[in-house]
Amino acid sequence: MARGFAGTTLHVDLTRGTILRQPTDEALFRRWHGGRGVVAKICYDEVPRDADPLGPENVFIITTSPMSGCLIPAGSKVEFGSVSPLTNGQGDSNMGGHLGPALKFAGYDMVIFKGISPQPVYLTIDNDAVELKEASAYWGMKSLDLEKRLKEDLGEDFEIATIGPAGENGILFSCITHDFGRQAGRTGQGAVMGSKRLKAIAVRGNKSLHVHDRAGLTKHVTDIIKRTQKHPNMEPWQKYGTAFFIRWSNDNGVMPTRNFQTTYYEDTDKIDGDQLVEKCLITHKACFGCWMNCGKYTKAVIPGKPEVHLEGPEYETGSLCGANLGMKDINHVAYINWLLDNLGMDSMSGGGVIAFAMECFERGLVTEKDLEGHQLRWGSVDDVEHFLDMVAYRRGIGDWFARGTKQAAERIGRGSEKFAMQVKGQEMSGYDGRWAPGMLLSYMTADIGAHHNRSWTITVDIAEGRETIQGRAKIVVYLQHIRPLMDTWCICRLFWGELDITPEEIVETLNLITGWGVTPEDCLRTSEMTWNLNRCHYLERNRADGRTFDYPPARSWEDKIPTGPGKGKGVSREQVEAMLDDYYAARGWDQKGNPTRAVLEDLGLKDAADNLERIGLLGAPLSGGIPAVRGQKYKPKAF
Amino acid sequence: MIIFFKAGSELRHRLNPDVDYYTRRVEADPGKSVKDILKDLGLDPAFVAFVYVEGKVKNLDYVPSEGQTITLQPPVSGG
Amino acid sequence: MNSKTPISAKDSYQRIKVSRDQCTGCRLCLQVCGLMHFDEINPKKAAMRVEAKFPDPGKYRPYVCTQCGKCAEACPVGAISQNDKGAFIVDKAMCDNCGACVTACPFGVVFQHPDLDFVIICDFCMICTEMCNTGAIVPWMRKAAAGDAEAARG
Repeated sequence: MARGFAGTTLHVDLTRGTILRQPTDEALFRRWHGGRGVVAKICYDEVPRDADPLGPENVFIITTSPMSGCLIPAGSKVEFGSVSPLTNGQGDSNMGGHLGPALKFAGYDMVIFKGISPQPVYLTIDNDAVELKEASAYWGMKSLDLEKRLKEDLGEDFEIATIGPAGENGILFSCITHDFGRQAGRTGQGAVMGSKRLKAIAVRGNKSLHVHDRAGLTKHVTDIIKRTQKHPNMEPWQKYGTAFFIRWSNDNGVMPTRNFQTTYYEDTDKIDGDQLVEKCLITHKACFGCWMNCGKYTKAVIPGKPEVHLEGPEYETGSLCGANLGMKDINHVAYINWLLDNLGMDSMSGGGVIAFAMECFERGLVTEKDLEGHQLRWGSVDDVEHFLDMVAYRRGIGDWFARGTKQAAERIGRGSEKFAMQVKGQEMSGYDGRWAPGMLLSYMTADIGAHHNRSWTITVDIAEGRETIQGRAKIVVYLQHIRPLMDTWCICRLFWGELDITPEEIVETLNLITGWGVTPEDCLRTSEMTWNLNRCHYLERNRADGRTFDYPPARSWEDKIPTGPGKGKGVSREQVEAMLDDYYAARGWDQKGNPTRAVLEDLGLKDAADNLERIGLLGAPLSGGIPAVRGQKYKPKAF
Repeated sequence: MIIFFKAGSELRHRLNPDVDYYTRRVEADPGKSVKDILKDLGLDPAFVAFVYVEGKVKNLDYVPSEGQTITLQPPVSGG
Repeated sequence: MNSKTPISAKDSYQRIKVSRDQCTGCRLCLQVCGLMHFDEINPKKAAMRVEAKFPDPGKYRPYVCTQCGKCAEACPVGAISQNDKGAFIVDKAMCDNCGACVTACPFGVVFQHPDLDFVIICDFCMICTEMCNTGAIVPWMRKAAAGDAEAARG
């Protein structure tokens, strides 16, 4: 088989404790390319539409792509996927580090778990030796602590991924942790792993990978490496990672501040990239094959607390657990990052949940009595520490917040839904969309809720007009195709997207490895196919017109930005509706937000169209027909 | 005074680098901000997300000193 | 060719200097080493290693050959000898993969692999230093006064 593949897929039945080895389904990967693509297809085909995401019928997939580990820079990502308990749709999340390549070098492209183990287990993979082992001694341990312990018990050269107590306890935004600080954070993959009583995975391998054209690949990659080594964009990434973005975000009035109450934080200079590098940095940290080393391994030093080590905070955590919580010290932000990492909760949703709870406390909707005699004040790291403990162990009102802001707001009521900053159940990334309408549309329409990884448009909004929605929808659609290709190929967008490497060069790399001979257009269609399949899956599970689920929280149009460069700005309800109209038209969906047969069949998804039709959710045909090409690449005016 | 601008991506083409592949030598009035110097060169500062000078991230209001190399950072894709 | 061949340390020998605090753990060095010598994508066929020490102190430590010669001294069949670049070269036909050199190496940079019937020792081709973009491993010519082991360990 070769051509990038390791060759074997593992099927693990946790209920029966069996492991089946099968040759990797190359046709599946050829059609869906890998990563997020195969996750979408397997979830759609194998998980019953009424299955509980935390029940035995959900799958839990760990996958790579033919590109992973194959001598390319930043081919480090490993993708996790399942039906998400947070959004009730297809969910996927990936992380860098070294686990994906380790799986390939051990001989495996993918591991698919089904069922639920009767007792806690962990999976060890040591080349051909694959075992499910008893994990009762490890159950209850925190994520980072467990990784250290497993490296001691098994060997330092094992690559390890763990869940913490949050994943064990089914906190819906639980994450998976690896390499002492990389996370697969979004969509609650840690909760799915925990529901299966799978505590950890440990992988080690020393086999070789083979590609279609190794000489050609070596030359192609060496040229790219030499060209990018001195690229001007490289240095700030190497020094700060994404933390350099904190100041930019604030200066441009998109910084989520105190639960997105405003978009400019007056104490940004206490929590920005310079603070991180000057006060907290221990070492720069790279993923497999990438010397951009955007990872920042740091220490949080707070008088009265033990010194802790963590990777981060990168931009998202720095904003969502920084300005969004009113923190005034980078050490406090880092400490909260560490708490979330070790307990095993997504630091993005974590920041969003804490901020939401802080606003509830501010408004008297949550009281000291609810918080076991504690408060939850903006800027208090001690209050946050206690609150997170209640959430991770589901004590009292912690149980409500453990379900995410959407479900917490449903229980708290009294208008709190307005400022539960989420879409489809997943909390917003670290950019406020009121003065960046394309970004708001990105949040509204992403398959996994309010996440920026599918589409990020803030510089487009700034260039084209922050108070107009003109032309935004087509650009969002294009971005929703091209960006997730990185998750499909399990390569890192920060390297392959920020250093002038063209889509043609990336696809050439893919072809040199696999011999597939695909074009960039083919790849965009594959990504669009994945996008539409996930939409169909979502509608089938949630049984209502798509438009129902595509609205942002009411704060987005009701509350104009009160302070900072964006003061007085905000989208209107009419603009929100108009953006959805534009978006559905651009996608070839009907105005209820349902995919039409024309676009689904154009993408080879006739069965999905039939399934939607059977439940009355197939989109009505568009009178003017569907656009021939969906989505349009943004061409900056000045360039 | 003399300063140097350095950029990759499409900014690089607009910059007309003359020192090396990425770098352009610029005659600038002392006391002017990067934003104003870019405008004097006919470059729209809206397409520079921020600047990087001597190992630190600054914004477009930064006022360069003689001989400095200012790296112009284009829009990034978020993270 | 016999195990009593004197081992020398000359100023003209090509060495690798490790600045260990610069290492960020990317392992590109291991990837290109395996590729250069075995034409395969396999970081476990490299002639050096990178240790990750987390969470404490939170650093990476690359280990490279210091040309100390203990592998050659330990070899019972005289399969390892020093070339004029200073590198210790394994005669693959003579090596019977007994692993005595692996045990003797003070830095754990002599390697065995299930695919091979001979050991892997760095030949100082220097491609790893070309790939490293952080300066953690750089070409270096030996200076008489510097402690060899320290320079290689960083």
